[in-house]
Amino acid sequence: MRKRHKHLEFEINLIPAIDLLSVCICFLLLTAVWLHVGALNVKQAVGGQPASETAKKPTVWAQINAQGDVMLDVRDARVPAKLAKAKISGKDGKLDLEGIKNIAMQLKTAEPSLTTVLIQPQAATVYEDIIDVMDQFKKQGLIDLGVSPL
Amino acid sequence: MLNESVVKTSSFHSVIGESSVIAPNSEKKTRNIVSDLLLTALIDAFSILVIFLLMSFSSTGELLMMGKNMELPKASADMLDRNPVVKLDSGKLFLEDKEVTADGLVQALLDLRKNFQESRPGEEFPAILTVQADRRAKYEQLSGIVQASAHAGFADIKFAVVMK
Repeated sequence: MRKRHKHLEFEINLIPAIDLLSVCICFLLLTAVWLHVGALNVKQAVGGQPASETAKKPTVWAQINAQGDVMLDVRDARVPAKLAKAKISGKDGKLDLEGIKNIAMQLKTAEPSLTTVLIQPQAATVYEDIIDVMDQFKKQGLIDLGVSPL
Repeated sequence: MLNESVVKTSSFHSVIGESSVIAPNSEKKTRNIVSDLLLTALIDAFSILVIFLLMSFSSTGELLMMGKNMELPKASADMLDRNPVVKLDSGKLFLEDKEVTADGLVQALLDLRKNFQESRPGEEFPAILTVQADRRAKYEQLSGIVQASAHAGFADIKFAVVMK
């Protein structure tokens, strides 16, 4: 009796796989999100509660002007006088982000309970500068951010 | 062997039939016009592309429509949730894509709150506002939004940023 050899070599039909992958790629290309938009949470710096009724907690008041200078005023916190009233001058009209980062780091080390920063921009202050300052403080653990209206 | 090729079963079959296989050393002297494609490499490339696109696919969070001239500032931020959006685009204010005046923003926000409470009685109004503005905008333009949100009882503001 003749032994029948089982045919082991075969080819997979790849066309449906290619079709499926092509459809997948088209769908994903159309629905992919290339720009991830997030949110920087900010609270109202000026509330309706009277100042006398508000519990005093360590707070940094940060004024930003249009030249990129940031003036810090730390209130109700035990920090060295040099840090309590600090000015970080801008460079060529831009913020000195490294300087802000260093000061924020020193403030957090001197007063670990310091978490609140209130931003006081001026009319000509650029929106991006406000966000950059808040971002630098947030990165150093000063997470309760507020912004005051003009 | 090549006669059993996948090309034979593909769409080429019906059009060019037997000439869809490559046979350079065969005794047949006819010139073949279609070569057997190496499909494995193509599928590898497609698979990598699909995996990359799946990783960049996002089905959560909120999508914001941005104008041609609008660039958001960059910051390390949290996920953007669904909240009423106030957009400052080319000096004009939009609340949920409807143009509003600076003076009418407080009333529009109060109306929004009222509509929410009427449509969902008993449910607490979130009172969070998302602000979307160009990174080059001056604060004098944004200050009005901050003030209006305070007057309308929106305690929290979320500034829309591009995640770093």
